[in-house]
Amino acid sequence: MRRLMSRVLGPGALAFPTWAYVVFFFVIPVFLVLFYSFGHKPDEFTAVATDQLSFDRYGEALTGAFVTTLGATLRISIVGTLLCLLISLPFAYWLAVKVPPKWRGLLIALVLVPFWTNFLVRTLGWQITLSPEGFLNQWLIGAGLLDSAFDILYTRTAVQIGVVYNYLPLMILPLFVAIDRAGRSLREASYDLGAPRWTTFMKVTLPLAMPGVVSGCLLVFIPLTGDYVTATVLGGASGSMVGQLIAAQFNTAQNWALGAAMAVILMVTTLLVVAVVGALLWGGQRLAAWWNSTPVSVEERAGDEGGGVR
Amino acid sequence: MARTGRPRTTDLGLRIWGILVFAFLFLPIAVIVAYSFNTGRVLASWQGFGFRSYVAAVNNDVIVSSVITSLQAAVGTALLATVLGTLGGIALARARAGLWWAAALAGLLAVTMITPEIVDGIAFLPWFVTLGVDAGLTPFNNGMVRLIVSHTMFSVAVVTFIVRARMAGADRRLEEAAADLGATPWQAFRSVTLPVAAPGILAGSLMAFTLSLDNTILSSFVQQPGYTPWPVYIFSSVRVALRPEVAAMSTVMLVLTLLALVVVGLVLRRSGESSTAIVKTIVR
Amino acid sequence: MTEPLRFLGPEPVARQVARSVSRRRLLAGIGVLGLGALTGCTASTQRMADSPAPDGMVENKLNLYSWGDYDDPELLDRFKDDHGLVLQVDSFGSNEEMIAKLAAARGTSGYDVVVPTGLMIPQMVEHNLLQPLDMDRIPNFSNIDPEFTGQYFDRDNTYSVCKAWGTTGFVYDTEVITRSMESWADFVDAAQNEADGRTALLEDPWEVCSIALGSQGVSLNTTDDAELEECRRIVVDELAPHIRAYLGNAATGMAQGTVSLLQAFNGDARQGMLEAGEGHTWRFVFPTPSANLWMDNWCLATGAPHPDAAHAFIDAMISPEAAIANVDYIGYPVGTRGLEEQAREAELEDLDLIFPDQEVLDRLEASEYNEGQQARVEIFGAAQARSGA
Repeated sequence: MRRLMSRVLGPGALAFPTWAYVVFFFVIPVFLVLFYSFGHKPDEFTAVATDQLSFDRYGEALTGAFVTTLGATLRISIVGTLLCLLISLPFAYWLAVKVPPKWRGLLIALVLVPFWTNFLVRTLGWQITLSPEGFLNQWLIGAGLLDSAFDILYTRTAVQIGVVYNYLPLMILPLFVAIDRAGRSLREASYDLGAPRWTTFMKVTLPLAMPGVVSGCLLVFIPLTGDYVTATVLGGASGSMVGQLIAAQFNTAQNWALGAAMAVILMVTTLLVVAVVGALLWGGQRLAAWWNSTPVSVEERAGDEGGGVR
Repeated sequence: MARTGRPRTTDLGLRIWGILVFAFLFLPIAVIVAYSFNTGRVLASWQGFGFRSYVAAVNNDVIVSSVITSLQAAVGTALLATVLGTLGGIALARARAGLWWAAALAGLLAVTMITPEIVDGIAFLPWFVTLGVDAGLTPFNNGMVRLIVSHTMFSVAVVTFIVRARMAGADRRLEEAAADLGATPWQAFRSVTLPVAAPGILAGSLMAFTLSLDNTILSSFVQQPGYTPWPVYIFSSVRVALRPEVAAMSTVMLVLTLLALVVVGLVLRRSGESSTAIVKTIVR
Repeated sequence: MTEPLRFLGPEPVARQVARSVSRRRLLAGIGVLGLGALTGCTASTQRMADSPAPDGMVENKLNLYSWGDYDDPELLDRFKDDHGLVLQVDSFGSNEEMIAKLAAARGTSGYDVVVPTGLMIPQMVEHNLLQPLDMDRIPNFSNIDPEFTGQYFDRDNTYSVCKAWGTTGFVYDTEVITRSMESWADFVDAAQNEADGRTALLEDPWEVCSIALGSQGVSLNTTDDAELEECRRIVVDELAPHIRAYLGNAATGMAQGTVSLLQAFNGDARQGMLEAGEGHTWRFVFPTPSANLWMDNWCLATGAPHPDAAHAFIDAMISPEAAIANVDYIGYPVGTRGLEEQAREAELEDLDLIFPDQEVLDRLEASEYNEGQQARVEIFGAAQARSGA
């Protein structure tokens, strides 16, 4: 009995349900999509046929307007990720370093509140705000700050604002945790050794916050690239993102093969961008380490310290 | 950390920046709350102040049932994902380095997290139809089953990694000690392992609940009428005409969430965890 | 926020995987599982889930899938209260969208009543997306004007009952476009000039192509390759770069103030004008040389979970009392007997928008589903992508 129980509760057996679930509800369906992407659309009313397999759908996707939209989407996501980073970095630093600890909990909870309000609802808030007939325009005109209404609803700009807004908390939180974990004592030591604050930020705080920067960027970039709800609500015809094109293949055009090929291309591109940026960062770090060996030893010490927190 | 001789402008600048970011974060939410009191027929065109939309929202069967659907799906997802994720997380934390199944599971879970939601969506619908119609597994024709199964799929990784993180910090010798003292493995699991994992399990189930409640893209592919979750209801009404009822119901839900947050905060404070630590558990 | 924190801590994981997984083994295992699933799926792609047989007891739910804002909410409420059921109305912006949903779900879409345009019905029947109606359960069918029964797409009304008919045209803001607009050629021209970036098209491939074909004066149902190629050029190169949005319902666009020129169905335009209130500056045009004469129909989806409620609903919606209320709300004639006289008596607003003149009716052309449809869908897709570029 005892042996049976310990086998049942052993790690391998414990993991089995999770394994089975992921295989059955993720691996198989996603492989199905991959499989569809080699198929074709036989007639107007049939979504996909897989009697002849080919790479034609990939060719079709890569020669059409899809590529242009993919480029635009990548631009929106990269610019969006960078904007999120630029906005969040000082903010997270302020939150983790400058705000008195007793207020910190409350302020973090406040960052989380938009998180818990449905993201479509928040996007609708922007739709109202940016509308030419909206209150913001009327106030600005009324106050004499604008001559005529700004007209950015259903444009790229509106989509850019919307995505930066929607994904901002995902950047703030990991940055906050990383900067917080980086430890106050190191910064103080740096001050005490006479380093100016800017140098301290650049040479101590920022390198230590790098894991947060990386996970924040991933958390923002990946879902942002596949998002199309924000673009649908704020973008109109001109803010289209790849996600919309893929969804349209399934929701209206009924061309699953083409849609699946587009989805595969999207995934591969996303991973490529991540890999390229990762390689650049890694190379940059190596270069920096070679250039100046001091931050490296600091990082190692902090790494040991951080191990206990986990 | 008051220090003399340092420029105060940076501090001031940072504080202003912080306030601006908060203003940015809350602007659209404030707009929605304000417009929920619009008495007009269309959300965006302000007619006058009143509670008409709240009355209408509460009396709108479809709105109410979509919110209930969302809550049911979120609870179901939280339960299922928590069971699977807890088992997976504990197993991963205990597995010796280099075990193929552990590494592969962790890898697969990581892949589920970096898969764009739209890919999940287009993958799930044909799969559910295959299971439900071709294989005759009729439960998969049910909208609620579809929602819970698909939401669980992308929440399970989050729960697993949170629980694993929690367990990685725990001392395995505690369980061994329990075994030496004559506890059966089940007793050891129940009275040693689970309590150690509890904060991670709680954080994970909260995340699963939130992810499910907020999910739009995946849900819009697998949903059925009668089991339309709230975000999908909003998404489809965006195209027709947005009525202030949507804003009213959102405001009600916002207030309820804030209350729930306060309660959770108080409970956790009692149990001695600081809010910063909680965020860290979640974000890690 | 779609998926917060989906990227928790996988970096060490990735390294671990790279180090220790035998990738071949993993793939082999997955392959075996996956293959079984695939063969199972391709063998019987067309199987549909069954619908329960009607038993005379109206169910406590009904799911309607229709065009946006296409029924008077008060009528819906009344039906709901009369039968004590929960009525869910979902909307689509094009026939393609509705068909994609039904076809993908293969009878598990959950919808009972759907409202396709006539031209789609033969294909939908052929692909088993619709099931026959039981006219014994729709006694008010006798209330439908014979002019709107037995249409070319469903000769003996086995599958469909007229829901409403109308035509397509465009509506523009006379403050922005001051000249008089009469034809599709005017539309194409204004979209590139006065209404550049402030033009909206319908979400429907056939309708969007009809603008270009109309401006060229060729048949709107053409299957001629050269004419369709010219249509592609006009839609994708001339129109698309100036388009602000593709909308299912023009009334929404008219209310937002972002567009000044919209392709629109006549009733939606009327609805938009009524919402804009007194002193609005919109004008609707029945464009020359021709436009669509379409008819939407009540149909029963295959696999409908609530067939009794569905029949009761269709019957209630075509009753004489419901008909006139619905006409007033949606702005389309619903095909019941003596409707125009009733509308005149009830003094509905903008009657000329609801009931086009005979002269207009004579030049309209009913949309057909033909071998040119695939080209139209592709043109539409290219136009949408071009507008977004």
